[in-house]
Amino acid sequence: MSTPSRVSPIAWLVAPAGLFFLLFFLVPFGVMALFSVLSGNPVQRPNVTLTGRHYDRMLGDSLYIESLWSTLKIGAVTTAAALLLGYPLAHWLARMRSRGGHALLLMAVIAPMLTGIVVRTFAWITILSDRGVINATLTGLGLLLAPLPLMYNELGTVIALVHIYVPFMVLTLAGVIGRIDERLEEAAMSLGASPMRAFLEVTLPLSLPGILAGSLLVFALAISAYVTPYLMGGQQVLTLPMLIYQQVAATFNLAFAGALGVVLLAVSLILIVAYNHVLGRVARREDLA
Amino acid sequence: MRGRRASLGQRAYLVANGAILFFLLAPLAVVAVFALNPTPFIQFPPVGVTTRWFEKFFASAEFMGSLRLSLEVAAAVVVLATLIGAAAALALARGGLPGTRFLTALFLAPLMLPAILTGLALFQALQLAGFGRPTWALVVGHTLVAVPYVMRTTLAVLSDFDRRIEEAAASLGAPPLRVFFEVTLPIIRPGVIAGSIFAFIVSFDQFPISLFLVTPSRETLPVVLFNYMKFDLDGAIAAASMVSILLALAVVIVIDRLVGLRATMRF
Repeated sequence: MSTPSRVSPIAWLVAPAGLFFLLFFLVPFGVMALFSVLSGNPVQRPNVTLTGRHYDRMLGDSLYIESLWSTLKIGAVTTAAALLLGYPLAHWLARMRSRGGHALLLMAVIAPMLTGIVVRTFAWITILSDRGVINATLTGLGLLLAPLPLMYNELGTVIALVHIYVPFMVLTLAGVIGRIDERLEEAAMSLGASPMRAFLEVTLPLSLPGILAGSLLVFALAISAYVTPYLMGGQQVLTLPMLIYQQVAATFNLAFAGALGVVLLAVSLILIVAYNHVLGRVARREDLA
Repeated sequence: MRGRRASLGQRAYLVANGAILFFLLAPLAVVAVFALNPTPFIQFPPVGVTTRWFEKFFASAEFMGSLRLSLEVAAAVVVLATLIGAAAALALARGGLPGTRFLTALFLAPLMLPAILTGLALFQALQLAGFGRPTWALVVGHTLVAVPYVMRTTLAVLSDFDRRIEEAAASLGAPPLRVFFEVTLPIIRPGVIAGSIFAFIVSFDQFPISLFLVTPSRETLPVVLFNYMKFDLDGAIAAASMVSILLALAVVIVIDRLVGLRATMRF
Protein backbone atom coordinates (compact mmCIF):
# COMPACT_ATOMS: atom_id res chain seq x y z
CA MET A 1 0.00 0.00 0.00
CA SER A 2 1.59 3.30 -1.04
CA THR A 3 1.37 6.05 1.53
CA PRO A 4 0.72 9.54 0.18
CA SER A 5 2.68 12.20 2.02
CA ARG A 6 -0.39 14.17 3.10
CA VAL A 7 -3.45 12.95 4.97
CA SER A 8 -6.37 13.47 2.60
CA PRO A 9 -9.95 14.36 3.61
CA ILE A 10 -10.91 10.78 2.70
CA ALA A 11 -9.19 9.73 5.93
CA TRP A 12 -12.24 10.99 7.85
CA LEU A 13 -14.24 8.08 6.45
CA VAL A 14 -12.51 5.84 8.97
CA ALA A 15 -14.25 7.69 11.82
CA PRO A 16 -17.59 5.79 11.93
CA ALA A 17 -15.95 2.37 11.93
CA GLY A 18 -13.30 3.56 14.39
CA LEU A 19 -15.93 4.87 16.78
CA PHE A 20 -18.04 1.74 16.38
CA PHE A 21 -15.12 -0.57 17.14
CA LEU A 22 -14.00 1.58 20.06
CA LEU A 23 -17.46 1.56 21.65
CA PHE A 24 -18.59 -1.97 20.89
CA PHE A 25 -15.34 -3.92 20.60
CA LEU A 26 -12.44 -2.39 22.54
CA VAL A 27 -14.47 -1.04 25.47
CA PRO A 28 -16.40 -4.33 25.97
CA PHE A 29 -13.17 -6.33 26.02
CA GLY A 30 -11.87 -3.83 28.58
CA VAL A 31 -15.05 -4.40 30.60
CA MET A 32 -14.50 -8.15 30.39
CA ALA A 33 -10.96 -7.79 31.73
CA LEU A 34 -12.24 -5.47 34.46
CA PHE A 35 -14.99 -7.88 35.51
CA SER A 36 -12.37 -10.60 35.88
CA VAL A 37 -10.63 -8.74 38.72
CA LEU A 38 -13.73 -7.46 40.55
CA SER A 39 -15.11 -9.10 43.67
CA GLY A 40 -18.68 -9.00 42.37
CA ASN A 41 -21.10 -7.55 39.85
CA PRO A 42 -20.88 -3.74 40.21
CA VAL A 43 -24.39 -3.41 38.78
CA GLN A 44 -25.87 -5.24 41.74
CA ARG A 45 -23.42 -4.25 44.44
CA PRO A 46 -21.95 -0.74 44.35
CA ASN A 47 -18.99 -1.38 46.70
CA VAL A 48 -16.92 -3.97 44.86
CA THR A 49 -13.19 -4.36 45.32
CA LEU A 50 -10.33 -5.54 43.19
CA THR A 51 -9.45 -9.18 43.66
CA GLY A 52 -7.40 -11.96 42.09
CA ARG A 53 -9.59 -14.70 43.49
CA HIS A 54 -11.22 -15.65 40.18
CA TYR A 55 -7.82 -16.47 38.73
CA ASP A 56 -6.87 -18.29 41.97
CA ARG A 57 -10.06 -20.36 41.70
CA MET A 58 -9.20 -21.27 38.12
CA LEU A 59 -5.67 -22.33 39.01
CA GLY A 60 -6.82 -24.14 42.15
CA ASP A 61 -9.51 -26.27 40.50
CA SER A 62 -8.31 -29.09 38.29
CA LEU A 63 -11.58 -28.91 36.29
CA TYR A 64 -10.51 -25.67 34.63
CA ILE A 65 -6.93 -26.72 33.98
CA GLU A 66 -8.18 -29.99 32.51
CA SER A 67 -10.70 -28.27 30.27
CA LEU A 68 -8.06 -25.80 29.08
CA TRP A 69 -5.82 -28.78 28.33
CA SER A 70 -8.62 -30.65 26.53
CA THR A 71 -9.49 -27.50 24.53
CA LEU A 72 -5.88 -27.16 23.39
CA LYS A 73 -5.65 -30.86 22.60
CA ILE A 74 -8.79 -30.82 20.44
CA GLY A 75 -7.44 -27.68 18.75
CA ALA A 76 -4.11 -29.37 17.99
CA VAL A 77 -5.61 -32.59 16.61
CA THR A 78 -8.11 -30.60 14.52
CA THR A 79 -5.30 -28.44 13.16
CA ALA A 80 -3.14 -31.42 12.21
CA ALA A 81 -6.02 -33.18 10.44
CA ALA A 82 -7.09 -29.97 8.68
CA LEU A 83 -3.53 -29.53 7.44
CA LEU A 84 -3.37 -33.08 6.08
CA LEU A 85 -6.68 -32.70 4.24
CA GLY A 86 -6.23 -29.06 3.32
CA TYR A 87 -2.77 -29.21 1.75
CA PRO A 88 -3.57 -31.37 -1.31
CA LEU A 89 -6.73 -29.38 -2.00
CA ALA A 90 -4.90 -26.05 -1.63
CA HIS A 91 -2.16 -27.26 -3.97
CA TRP A 92 -4.73 -28.33 -6.54
CA LEU A 93 -6.52 -25.00 -6.22
CA ALA A 94 -3.32 -22.95 -6.52
CA ARG A 95 -2.05 -24.90 -9.57
CA MET A 96 -5.39 -25.23 -11.41
CA ARG A 97 -4.89 -23.71 -14.86
CA SER A 98 -8.47 -23.81 -16.12
CA ARG A 99 -10.39 -20.71 -15.04
CA GLY A 100 -13.72 -22.52 -14.87
CA GLY A 101 -12.25 -25.39 -12.87
CA HIS A 102 -10.66 -22.95 -10.47
CA ALA A 103 -13.93 -21.10 -9.93
CA LEU A 104 -15.85 -24.34 -9.32
CA LEU A 105 -13.28 -25.66 -6.87
CA LEU A 106 -13.29 -22.36 -5.00
CA MET A 107 -17.09 -22.53 -4.77
CA ALA A 108 -16.85 -26.07 -3.39
CA VAL A 109 -14.49 -24.82 -0.68
CA ILE A 110 -16.39 -21.66 0.21
CA ALA A 111 -20.00 -22.93 0.12
CA PRO A 112 -19.53 -25.16 3.21
CA MET A 113 -17.75 -22.25 4.91
CA LEU A 114 -20.81 -20.04 4.46
CA THR A 115 -23.18 -22.68 5.82
CA GLY A 116 -23.95 -22.13 9.49
CA ILE A 117 -21.98 -24.01 12.15
CA VAL A 118 -25.18 -25.38 13.71
CA VAL A 119 -26.27 -26.73 10.32
CA ARG A 120 -22.92 -28.37 9.58
CA THR A 121 -22.83 -29.93 13.03
CA PHE A 122 -26.30 -31.34 12.40
CA ALA A 123 -25.04 -32.81 9.12
CA TRP A 124 -22.32 -34.66 11.02
CA ILE A 125 -24.81 -35.96 13.58
CA THR A 126 -26.80 -37.54 10.75
CA ILE A 127 -23.62 -39.18 9.47
CA LEU A 128 -21.93 -40.29 12.71
CA SER A 129 -24.74 -41.09 15.17
CA ASP A 130 -25.71 -44.67 16.05
CA ARG A 131 -28.48 -44.71 13.42
CA GLY A 132 -26.54 -42.40 11.13
CA VAL A 133 -25.35 -42.97 7.60
CA ILE A 134 -22.10 -44.79 8.42
CA ASN A 135 -23.36 -47.05 11.21
CA ALA A 136 -26.65 -47.84 9.44
CA THR A 137 -24.85 -48.75 6.23
CA LEU A 138 -22.26 -50.95 7.95
CA THR A 139 -24.81 -52.76 10.13
CA GLY A 140 -27.14 -53.08 7.13
CA LEU A 141 -24.39 -54.80 5.16
CA GLY A 142 -23.80 -57.12 8.09
CA LEU A 143 -20.29 -55.80 8.65
CA LEU A 144 -21.11 -54.59 12.15
CA LEU A 145 -23.16 -56.06 14.98
CA ALA A 146 -23.21 -52.97 17.17
CA PRO A 147 -22.80 -49.37 16.01
CA LEU A 148 -19.34 -47.86 16.25
CA PRO A 149 -18.97 -45.05 18.83
CA LEU A 150 -18.34 -42.32 16.24
CA MET A 151 -19.87 -39.45 18.17
CA TYR A 152 -20.57 -38.25 21.70
CA ASN A 153 -16.81 -38.34 22.13
CA GLU A 154 -13.66 -36.50 21.07
CA LEU A 155 -13.50 -38.35 17.74
CA GLY A 156 -16.86 -37.03 16.55
CA THR A 157 -16.03 -33.54 17.82
CA VAL A 158 -12.75 -33.47 15.91
CA ILE A 159 -14.25 -34.85 12.66
CA ALA A 160 -16.92 -32.15 12.61
CA LEU A 161 -14.44 -29.43 13.60
CA VAL A 162 -12.07 -30.46 10.80
CA HIS A 163 -14.90 -30.19 8.31
CA ILE A 164 -15.82 -26.76 9.61
CA TYR A 165 -12.29 -25.31 9.56
CA VAL A 166 -10.62 -27.04 6.59
CA PRO A 167 -11.75 -24.25 4.19
CA PHE A 168 -9.77 -21.69 6.22
CA MET A 169 -6.69 -23.89 5.93
CA VAL A 170 -7.20 -24.35 2.17
CA LEU A 171 -7.62 -20.63 1.49
CA THR A 172 -4.58 -19.62 3.56
CA LEU A 173 -2.38 -22.31 2.00
CA ALA A 174 -3.59 -21.69 -1.56
CA GLY A 175 -2.65 -18.02 -1.16
CA VAL A 176 0.94 -18.92 -0.25
CA ILE A 177 1.35 -21.84 -2.71
CA GLY A 178 -0.01 -19.66 -5.51
CA ARG A 179 2.87 -17.21 -4.94
CA ILE A 180 5.53 -19.86 -5.39
CA ASP A 181 7.03 -19.67 -8.86
CA GLU A 182 6.13 -22.89 -10.68
CA ARG A 183 9.30 -22.61 -12.74
CA LEU A 184 11.36 -23.52 -9.67
CA GLU A 185 9.68 -26.92 -9.58
CA GLU A 186 10.08 -27.31 -13.34
CA ALA A 187 13.78 -26.47 -13.06
CA ALA A 188 14.22 -29.18 -10.40
CA MET A 189 12.49 -31.72 -12.64
CA SER A 190 14.51 -30.74 -15.69
CA LEU A 191 17.61 -31.44 -13.59
CA GLY A 192 16.31 -34.98 -13.07
CA ALA A 193 14.22 -34.81 -9.90
CA SER A 194 11.01 -36.84 -9.85
CA PRO A 195 7.79 -34.80 -9.43
CA MET A 196 7.53 -36.09 -5.85
CA ARG A 197 11.08 -35.08 -5.05
CA ALA A 198 10.65 -31.70 -6.73
CA PHE A 199 7.59 -31.14 -4.57
CA LEU A 200 9.27 -32.30 -1.35
CA GLU A 201 12.45 -30.28 -1.88
CA VAL A 202 11.14 -27.16 -3.58
CA THR A 203 7.45 -26.45 -3.14
CA LEU A 204 6.93 -27.90 0.33
CA PRO A 205 9.73 -25.91 2.03
CA LEU A 206 8.65 -22.72 0.25
CA SER A 207 5.07 -23.23 1.47
CA LEU A 208 6.11 -23.55 5.13
CA PRO A 209 4.88 -20.03 5.98
CA GLY A 210 1.46 -21.02 4.62
CA ILE A 211 1.47 -24.19 6.69
CA LEU A 212 2.33 -22.18 9.78
CA ALA A 213 -0.22 -19.41 9.12
CA GLY A 214 -3.02 -21.82 8.22
CA SER A 215 -2.32 -23.92 11.30
CA LEU A 216 -2.36 -20.87 13.58
CA LEU A 217 -5.67 -19.73 12.08
CA VAL A 218 -7.37 -23.11 12.37
CA PHE A 219 -6.05 -23.60 15.89
CA ALA A 220 -7.36 -20.19 16.96
CA LEU A 221 -10.78 -20.95 15.48
CA ALA A 222 -10.98 -24.53 16.81
CA ILE A 223 -10.23 -23.64 20.43
CA SER A 224 -13.10 -21.15 20.43
CA ALA A 225 -15.72 -23.61 19.13
CA TYR A 226 -18.82 -24.00 21.28
CA VAL A 227 -21.64 -25.61 19.27
CA THR A 228 -19.69 -28.55 17.89
CA PRO A 229 -18.10 -29.82 21.13
CA TYR A 230 -21.46 -29.33 22.84
CA LEU A 231 -23.50 -31.37 20.36
CA MET A 232 -20.86 -33.84 19.15
CA GLY A 233 -19.04 -34.40 22.41
CA GLY A 234 -22.00 -35.52 24.49
CA GLN A 235 -20.95 -35.22 28.10
CA GLN A 236 -17.46 -36.46 27.27
CA VAL A 237 -15.95 -33.22 26.02
CA LEU A 238 -15.74 -30.08 28.13
CA THR A 239 -14.00 -27.14 26.50
CA LEU A 240 -13.20 -23.66 27.76
CA PRO A 241 -15.87 -21.92 25.62
CA MET A 242 -18.48 -24.30 27.06
CA LEU A 243 -17.40 -23.44 30.61
CA ILE A 244 -17.49 -19.74 29.81
CA TYR A 245 -21.07 -19.85 28.58
CA GLN A 246 -22.06 -22.07 31.51
CA GLN A 247 -20.77 -19.44 33.96
CA VAL A 248 -23.10 -16.87 32.40
CA ALA A 249 -26.15 -19.02 31.67
CA ALA A 250 -26.22 -21.26 34.74
CA THR A 251 -24.70 -19.22 37.56
CA PHE A 252 -24.58 -15.68 36.10
CA ASN A 253 -21.04 -15.37 37.45
CA LEU A 254 -19.85 -12.62 35.12
CA ALA A 255 -16.59 -12.12 37.00
CA PHE A 256 -15.49 -15.71 36.74
CA ALA A 257 -16.69 -15.91 33.11
CA GLY A 258 -14.54 -12.85 32.50
CA ALA A 259 -11.49 -14.51 34.03
CA LEU A 260 -11.96 -17.62 31.87
CA GLY A 261 -12.49 -15.31 28.89
CA VAL A 262 -9.26 -13.43 29.56
CA VAL A 263 -7.33 -16.73 29.50
CA LEU A 264 -8.89 -17.75 26.16
CA LEU A 265 -8.33 -14.23 24.83
CA ALA A 266 -4.65 -14.30 25.80
CA VAL A 267 -4.10 -17.60 23.96
CA SER A 268 -5.98 -16.30 20.90
CA LEU A 269 -4.09 -13.00 20.79
CA ILE A 270 -0.74 -14.78 20.81
CA LEU A 271 -1.92 -16.94 17.89
CA ILE A 272 -3.27 -13.96 15.92
CA VAL A 273 -0.12 -11.89 16.34
CA ALA A 274 1.96 -14.88 15.19
CA TYR A 275 -0.36 -15.42 12.19
CA ASN A 276 -0.11 -11.78 11.08
CA HIS A 277 3.65 -11.86 11.58
CA VAL A 278 4.07 -14.95 9.39
CA LEU A 279 1.83 -13.68 6.58
CA GLY A 280 3.38 -10.21 6.79
CA ARG A 281 6.80 -11.75 6.20
CA VAL A 282 5.51 -13.65 3.15
CA ALA A 283 4.10 -10.43 1.68
CA ARG A 284 7.35 -8.52 2.33
CA ARG A 285 9.46 -11.28 0.84
CA GLU A 286 7.40 -10.97 -2.32
CA ASP A 287 7.77 -7.20 -2.40
CA LEU A 288 11.55 -7.55 -2.27
CA ALA A 289 11.71 -10.23 -4.98
CA MET B 1 9.23 -45.51 -17.15
CA ARG B 2 9.30 -42.06 -15.65
CA GLY B 3 6.25 -40.98 -17.56
CA ARG B 4 4.31 -43.93 -16.20
CA ARG B 5 5.32 -43.20 -12.65
CA ALA B 6 4.35 -39.58 -13.01
CA SER B 7 0.93 -40.50 -14.32
CA LEU B 8 0.42 -42.90 -11.41
CA GLY B 9 1.36 -40.11 -9.00
CA GLN B 10 -0.97 -37.82 -10.90
CA ARG B 11 -3.79 -40.28 -10.46
CA ALA B 12 -3.14 -40.66 -6.72
CA TYR B 13 -3.14 -36.87 -6.44
CA LEU B 14 -6.52 -36.59 -8.15
CA VAL B 15 -8.03 -39.47 -6.17
CA ALA B 16 -6.87 -37.92 -2.88
CA ASN B 17 -8.29 -34.55 -3.86
CA GLY B 18 -11.54 -36.14 -4.98
CA ALA B 19 -11.87 -37.86 -1.61
CA ILE B 20 -11.22 -34.59 0.24
CA LEU B 21 -13.80 -32.78 -1.88
CA PHE B 22 -16.26 -35.57 -1.08
CA PHE B 23 -15.56 -35.11 2.64
CA LEU B 24 -16.25 -31.40 2.23
CA LEU B 25 -19.45 -31.62 0.21
CA ALA B 26 -21.12 -34.95 1.09
CA PRO B 27 -22.38 -33.75 4.51
CA LEU B 28 -24.30 -30.95 2.81
CA ALA B 29 -25.91 -33.43 0.41
CA VAL B 30 -26.75 -35.84 3.24
CA VAL B 31 -28.84 -33.13 4.89
CA ALA B 32 -31.09 -33.10 1.82
CA VAL B 33 -31.68 -36.85 2.20
CA PHE B 34 -32.85 -36.41 5.79
CA ALA B 35 -34.97 -33.38 4.96
CA LEU B 36 -37.00 -35.57 2.58
CA ASN B 37 -37.07 -38.78 4.65
CA PRO B 38 -40.46 -39.27 6.39
CA THR B 39 -39.26 -40.97 9.63
CA PRO B 40 -39.29 -38.63 12.64
CA PHE B 41 -35.79 -39.68 13.72
CA ILE B 42 -32.48 -40.24 11.98
CA GLN B 43 -32.86 -43.30 9.76
CA PHE B 44 -30.71 -44.49 6.90
CA PRO B 45 -31.27 -45.55 4.17
CA PRO B 46 -34.32 -43.30 3.69
CA VAL B 47 -37.71 -45.02 3.48
CA GLY B 48 -39.50 -42.55 1.23
CA VAL B 49 -39.91 -38.97 0.14
CA THR B 50 -42.00 -36.38 1.92
CA THR B 51 -42.34 -32.63 2.14
CA ARG B 52 -43.85 -32.76 5.63
CA TRP B 53 -40.67 -31.45 7.31
CA PHE B 54 -40.59 -28.41 5.10
CA GLU B 55 -44.28 -27.91 5.88
CA LYS B 56 -43.58 -28.29 9.59
CA PHE B 57 -40.73 -25.80 9.36
CA PHE B 58 -42.73 -23.21 7.45
CA ALA B 59 -45.85 -23.71 9.60
CA SER B 60 -44.07 -23.49 12.96
CA ALA B 61 -44.54 -20.15 14.68
CA GLU B 62 -41.28 -20.62 16.57
CA PHE B 63 -39.19 -21.31 13.45
CA MET B 64 -40.88 -18.59 11.41
CA GLY B 65 -40.57 -16.00 14.18
CA SER B 66 -36.87 -16.71 14.51
CA LEU B 67 -36.37 -16.79 10.74
CA ARG B 68 -37.98 -13.37 10.55
CA LEU B 69 -35.82 -11.99 13.36
CA SER B 70 -32.70 -13.42 11.68
CA LEU B 71 -33.62 -11.81 8.36
CA GLU B 72 -34.43 -8.46 9.99
CA VAL B 73 -31.17 -8.42 11.93
CA ALA B 74 -29.24 -9.47 8.81
CA ALA B 75 -30.85 -6.66 6.80
CA ALA B 76 -29.86 -4.08 9.39
CA VAL B 77 -26.34 -5.55 9.58
CA VAL B 78 -25.98 -5.33 5.79
CA VAL B 79 -26.71 -1.59 5.84
CA LEU B 80 -24.59 -0.77 8.87
CA ALA B 81 -21.60 -3.00 8.07
CA THR B 82 -21.51 -1.96 4.41
CA LEU B 83 -21.59 1.75 5.24
CA ILE B 84 -18.93 1.79 7.92
CA GLY B 85 -16.85 -1.05 6.44
CA ALA B 86 -16.61 0.34 2.91
CA ALA B 87 -15.97 3.86 4.20
CA ALA B 88 -13.18 2.61 6.45
CA ALA B 89 -11.65 0.57 3.61
CA LEU B 90 -11.55 3.69 1.42
CA ALA B 91 -9.97 5.71 4.21
CA LEU B 92 -7.35 3.05 4.84
CA ALA B 93 -6.46 2.61 1.18
CA ARG B 94 -6.59 6.26 0.12
CA GLY B 95 -6.49 8.46 3.21
CA GLY B 96 -2.76 8.35 3.92
CA LEU B 97 -3.57 7.84 7.58
CA PRO B 98 -0.88 7.17 10.12
CA GLY B 99 -1.41 3.86 11.92
CA THR B 100 -3.04 2.19 8.92
CA ARG B 101 -1.59 -1.18 9.88
CA PHE B 102 -2.97 -1.01 13.39
CA LEU B 103 -6.42 0.05 12.20
CA THR B 104 -6.55 -2.69 9.56
CA ALA B 105 -5.62 -5.28 12.18
CA LEU B 106 -8.28 -3.89 14.52
CA PHE B 107 -11.06 -4.02 11.93
CA LEU B 108 -10.12 -7.54 10.83
CA ALA B 109 -9.68 -8.81 14.41
CA PRO B 110 -13.27 -10.10 14.90
CA LEU B 111 -12.56 -12.68 12.16
CA MET B 112 -9.98 -14.47 14.26
CA LEU B 113 -10.84 -13.58 17.84
CA PRO B 114 -13.18 -16.15 19.37
CA ALA B 115 -16.68 -14.88 18.57
CA ILE B 116 -17.86 -16.35 21.86
CA LEU B 117 -15.60 -13.81 23.61
CA THR B 118 -16.90 -10.95 21.46
CA GLY B 119 -20.37 -12.02 22.58
CA LEU B 120 -19.37 -12.31 26.23
CA ALA B 121 -17.61 -8.94 26.24
CA LEU B 122 -20.55 -7.20 24.58
CA PHE B 123 -22.97 -8.85 26.99
CA GLN B 124 -20.92 -7.74 30.01
CA ALA B 125 -20.61 -4.17 28.72
CA LEU B 126 -24.38 -4.02 28.14
CA GLN B 127 -24.98 -5.36 31.65
CA LEU B 128 -22.67 -2.75 33.13
CA ALA B 129 -24.38 0.02 31.19
CA GLY B 130 -27.81 -1.29 32.21
CA PHE B 131 -29.06 -1.91 28.67
CA GLY B 132 -29.99 -5.58 29.11
CA ARG B 133 -30.26 -7.49 25.84
CA PRO B 134 -31.99 -5.25 23.27
CA THR B 135 -32.43 -6.26 19.62
CA TRP B 136 -30.02 -3.54 18.51
CA ALA B 137 -27.30 -5.33 20.44
CA LEU B 138 -27.71 -8.31 18.08
CA VAL B 139 -27.26 -5.95 15.14
CA VAL B 140 -24.17 -4.43 16.77
CA GLY B 141 -22.63 -7.81 17.58
CA HIS B 142 -23.20 -9.19 14.09
CA THR B 143 -21.89 -5.99 12.52
CA LEU B 144 -18.58 -6.49 14.34
CA VAL B 145 -18.04 -9.83 12.56
CA ALA B 146 -19.48 -8.61 9.22
CA VAL B 147 -17.31 -5.49 8.86
CA PRO B 148 -14.11 -7.49 8.20
CA TYR B 149 -15.74 -9.15 5.17
CA VAL B 150 -16.90 -5.84 3.72
CA MET B 151 -13.47 -4.35 4.32
CA ARG B 152 -11.68 -7.21 2.66
CA THR B 153 -13.77 -7.27 -0.49
CA THR B 154 -13.57 -3.48 -0.80
CA LEU B 155 -9.83 -3.39 -0.15
CA ALA B 156 -9.33 -6.17 -2.71
CA VAL B 157 -11.03 -4.10 -5.43
CA LEU B 158 -9.25 -0.93 -4.33
CA SER B 159 -5.81 -2.53 -4.49
CA ASP B 160 -6.52 -3.98 -7.93
CA PHE B 161 -7.56 -0.83 -9.68
CA ASP B 162 -5.20 1.61 -11.29
CA ARG B 163 -4.81 4.76 -9.20
CA ARG B 164 -3.74 6.66 -12.29
CA ILE B 165 -7.40 6.79 -13.36
CA GLU B 166 -8.15 8.86 -10.26
CA GLU B 167 -5.02 10.93 -10.77
CA ALA B 168 -5.99 11.58 -14.39
CA ALA B 169 -9.43 12.84 -13.33
CA ALA B 170 -7.83 15.07 -10.70
CA SER B 171 -5.26 16.44 -13.10
CA LEU B 172 -8.05 17.32 -15.53
CA GLY B 173 -9.44 19.58 -12.82
CA ALA B 174 -12.03 17.43 -11.05
CA PRO B 175 -12.27 18.29 -7.34
CA PRO B 176 -11.63 15.37 -4.91
CA LEU B 177 -15.31 14.81 -4.16
CA ARG B 178 -16.17 14.63 -7.84
CA VAL B 179 -13.30 12.19 -8.44
CA PHE B 180 -14.69 10.10 -5.62
CA PHE B 181 -18.29 10.00 -6.86
CA GLU B 182 -17.58 9.71 -10.57
CA VAL B 183 -14.46 7.54 -10.65
CA THR B 184 -13.73 5.74 -7.39
CA LEU B 185 -17.25 4.79 -6.33
CA PRO B 186 -18.37 3.15 -9.60
CA ILE B 187 -15.16 1.10 -9.70
CA ILE B 188 -15.36 -0.21 -6.14
CA ARG B 189 -19.12 -0.88 -6.31
CA PRO B 190 -18.87 -4.64 -7.08
CA GLY B 191 -16.49 -5.13 -4.14
CA VAL B 192 -18.83 -3.27 -1.84
CA ILE B 193 -21.84 -5.27 -3.03
CA ALA B 194 -19.96 -8.56 -2.61
CA GLY B 195 -19.01 -7.43 0.90
CA SER B 196 -22.63 -6.64 1.76
CA ILE B 197 -23.70 -10.12 0.60
CA PHE B 198 -21.04 -11.64 2.82
CA ALA B 199 -22.31 -9.43 5.65
CA PHE B 200 -25.79 -10.84 5.13
CA ILE B 201 -24.77 -14.49 5.27
CA VAL B 202 -22.36 -13.94 8.18
CA SER B 203 -25.14 -12.35 10.20
CA PHE B 204 -27.72 -14.95 9.16
CA ASP B 205 -25.41 -17.81 10.27
CA GLN B 206 -23.97 -16.09 13.34
CA PHE B 207 -24.27 -18.17 16.48
CA PRO B 208 -21.84 -17.54 19.37
CA ILE B 209 -22.49 -13.81 19.69
CA SER B 210 -26.25 -14.30 19.40
CA LEU B 211 -26.11 -16.89 22.17
CA PHE B 212 -25.28 -14.15 24.69
CA LEU B 213 -27.64 -11.53 23.31
CA VAL B 214 -30.92 -13.35 22.64
CA THR B 215 -33.77 -13.60 25.15
CA PRO B 216 -36.06 -16.65 25.37
CA SER B 217 -38.85 -14.81 23.60
CA ARG B 218 -36.60 -13.43 20.86
CA GLU B 219 -34.15 -15.91 19.38
CA THR B 220 -32.43 -16.03 16.01
CA LEU B 221 -32.81 -19.08 13.75
CA PRO B 222 -29.41 -20.70 14.55
CA VAL B 223 -30.13 -20.41 18.30
CA VAL B 224 -33.59 -21.95 17.88
CA LEU B 225 -32.09 -24.77 15.79
CA PHE B 226 -29.40 -25.38 18.40
CA ASN B 227 -31.89 -25.53 21.27
CA TYR B 228 -34.21 -27.78 19.25
CA MET B 229 -31.32 -30.13 18.42
CA LYS B 230 -30.54 -30.67 22.10
CA PHE B 231 -33.80 -32.60 22.42
CA ASP B 232 -35.08 -33.57 19.01
CA LEU B 233 -33.45 -34.47 15.72
CA ASP B 234 -36.45 -34.80 13.40
CA GLY B 235 -36.58 -33.74 9.78
CA ALA B 236 -37.63 -30.18 10.62
CA ILE B 237 -34.01 -29.49 11.54
CA ALA B 238 -32.90 -30.98 8.22
CA ALA B 239 -35.44 -28.86 6.34
CA ALA B 240 -34.29 -25.71 8.13
CA SER B 241 -30.69 -26.70 7.38
CA MET B 242 -31.50 -27.07 3.68
CA VAL B 243 -32.76 -23.50 3.64
CA SER B 244 -29.45 -22.37 5.10
CA ILE B 245 -27.36 -24.49 2.69
CA LEU B 246 -29.23 -23.27 -0.39
CA LEU B 247 -28.76 -19.70 0.78
CA ALA B 248 -24.99 -20.27 1.12
CA LEU B 249 -24.85 -21.76 -2.39
CA ALA B 250 -26.76 -18.81 -3.83
CA VAL B 251 -24.39 -16.39 -2.09
CA VAL B 252 -21.30 -18.14 -3.48
CA ILE B 253 -22.65 -18.09 -7.03
CA VAL B 254 -23.76 -14.46 -6.89
CA ILE B 255 -20.44 -13.25 -5.47
CA ASP B 256 -18.51 -15.23 -8.08
CA ARG B 257 -20.53 -13.57 -10.84
CA LEU B 258 -20.10 -10.12 -9.29
CA VAL B 259 -16.40 -9.87 -8.52
CA GLY B 260 -15.01 -13.39 -8.68
CA LEU B 261 -14.61 -15.33 -5.46
CA ARG B 262 -10.85 -15.25 -5.83
CA ALA B 263 -10.52 -11.54 -5.14
CA THR B 264 -12.64 -11.70 -2.01
CA MET B 265 -11.13 -14.70 -0.29
CA ARG B 266 -7.50 -13.88 0.30
CA PHE B 267 -6.46 -14.88 3.77
